[in-house]
Amino acid sequence: MTVTEITYAWAINHALDEEFARDPRVVLFGQDVGRMGGVFGVTRNLYDKYGAERVRDVSIVEHFVVGGAVGAALGGLRPIVETQFADFLLVAGDESFHKLPKWRYMHGGAFTVPVVVRAPSGIQGGVGAEHSQCPEAHYWHTPGVKIAVPSTPADAKGLLKSAIRDDNPVIFFESRRLYRVKGPVSSDPELVVPFGKANIARAGTDLTVVAWSGMMPEVLEAAEVLAAEGLSLEVIDPRTLVPFDWETVATSVRKTSRLLIVHEAPLTMGPGAEIASRAADELFSELDAPVRRLGGPDVPIPQNMALEQFCYPQVSEIVLAARELIRW
Amino acid sequence: MSDDDRANLLALYHQMARGRALEESVVALMNSREFRGFYHPGRGQEAVQAGVCSVLQKDDYLMYAHRGLTYLTAKGMDPALILGDFLGRVGGSTGGLGAGTVHCVDIKHGIMGQGGTLGSSFTLTGGLALASQVLKQGRIATAFFGDGASARGTFLEAGVTIAAWKLPVLWICENNGWAVSARLADVQGTEDIAPRAAALGFYTEVVDGQDVQAVQAAARRAADVARNGRPAFIEAKTTRVEGHYSGDTQPYRDKDDVASAKDRDPMKLAREVLIGWGVSDEELTRIRDDSAGEMAAAESRARLTPEPTRERIFEGLWV
Repeated sequence: MTVTEITYAWAINHALDEEFARDPRVVLFGQDVGRMGGVFGVTRNLYDKYGAERVRDVSIVEHFVVGGAVGAALGGLRPIVETQFADFLLVAGDESFHKLPKWRYMHGGAFTVPVVVRAPSGIQGGVGAEHSQCPEAHYWHTPGVKIAVPSTPADAKGLLKSAIRDDNPVIFFESRRLYRVKGPVSSDPELVVPFGKANIARAGTDLTVVAWSGMMPEVLEAAEVLAAEGLSLEVIDPRTLVPFDWETVATSVRKTSRLLIVHEAPLTMGPGAEIASRAADELFSELDAPVRRLGGPDVPIPQNMALEQFCYPQVSEIVLAARELIRW
Repeated sequence: MSDDDRANLLALYHQMARGRALEESVVALMNSREFRGFYHPGRGQEAVQAGVCSVLQKDDYLMYAHRGLTYLTAKGMDPALILGDFLGRVGGSTGGLGAGTVHCVDIKHGIMGQGGTLGSSFTLTGGLALASQVLKQGRIATAFFGDGASARGTFLEAGVTIAAWKLPVLWICENNGWAVSARLADVQGTEDIAPRAAALGFYTEVVDGQDVQAVQAAARRAADVARNGRPAFIEAKTTRVEGHYSGDTQPYRDKDDVASAKDRDPMKLAREVLIGWGVSDEELTRIRDDSAGEMAAAESRARLTPEPTRERIFEGLWV
């Protein structure tokens, strides 16, 4: 067992490779995941290593990608599918909002639906309003599907392995901005990261910041900036939104008495609203400042790269908001 | 006509009679207000469902449609499980969650449920057939649907992928010419669905859906093709006697159209053949009476189980 520095994308590739080797029921399909190895290179080598039976390219058929995965799971496989961009998951609305989360429940619990949908998400590279979204709130609002939002290579690998082994359906949001970010990752094929267990990415005392996926680099940088001013942020990465590790967040807020939530998705009805609401309900007497949310502005994401950077919270905004809450 | 032919047609007649008797039990539950949900009657379409299911293996997958019940009982499902779902009892196949047909499930007979959004079976049967292919099980995945659902985009998306992957799929279009109140030609510009499946590379059969023997023969050929790795498609030209749902008086439809649908009743047509083959009317009456008795007994069994309590809604979401 070794620990090496590899990218987030490559960590996902390792998770896929190891789970393909471990379980012959694991199959993968999606656009360009086979011969090409994925448009982001995440599935490289799998087609050559595991063959055309288990790694399959498809045409532009998002309905089939998600619905076919549900059917394959009902038939005893453990399908992993990629929608290329998380936005394309919305094309398969009936399959991703209805069949995937509801099939087991609607049929009285008779089935298991062990599907993993890999959904590359977020703003990166000027790909515009229909290739840049973070639609995790849509699915958090849909009972029956688990949601993973890894922010480090090690978590990406460990959470994906958990997802593949889970008998419940999982939507696995991969941050496209993080694909080339490196971090230490273990080669241990049995090292999995459990769902529903937050990571305290940075310990602190003055303010709790909850953030995940592609926002984590900005939040950690803001924490560094504020540390130079003597302000201490505790940064919590929930790692999965469903299930959500509320206890770790609550424990932190009881200590800091302040809560800031940072996400990339548009602010209105974004995932932060749910966390803030729960804090208001359950931690009202613990709080010394209002619960604050930072999210993307309520606009579609422009294709112009000079403008898209304004569509998710920047370090300077996080610093300002955090400083204001601490000094409240 | 051999003894085997006669026995075969009698068995098909029995399956049609069972499906119709079950439907009559359901309609009685609606009339007594014990079942207050929706039901979509399949009267007139029993030959398609009985004929196709007669050639399937026990573990072949079935994704049924919303109209009628004959495929469920013909595939082997215990009618008490179905009636339990209508009665909202925990002894129903969904353990008290379902109400009506759309989510009946019986895994040991390959009955894998049904979605409430029509056309979702196209993608799911593709996935089931993929599992059968990868796991080398030799099972085929069948989906029944109407002419209306055949317009869904999922038909094309699943169809091209199923064809490319040579999946063991058999799709059966019960073309009754009506999608709720819309006539097929008015909304799809055609009377025929099979050409679009042929264009995708499916093996196709077009058959008189009122002739149960013809359906069975077409289904046998199509199922063989599917089992050997080429997707197959049956368009059965059939009739809808009742409205879209039980209680729909069909004000949008000519009386003559309903009358001609009744005239093409598949049980009546099968009966005429059997009488011509020397089967007595008494025997056919006995088959229908036995079927009604079976469904009455099934209903009694379903009633033995309780109704669910509030806690039920929180069960079964997660594994």
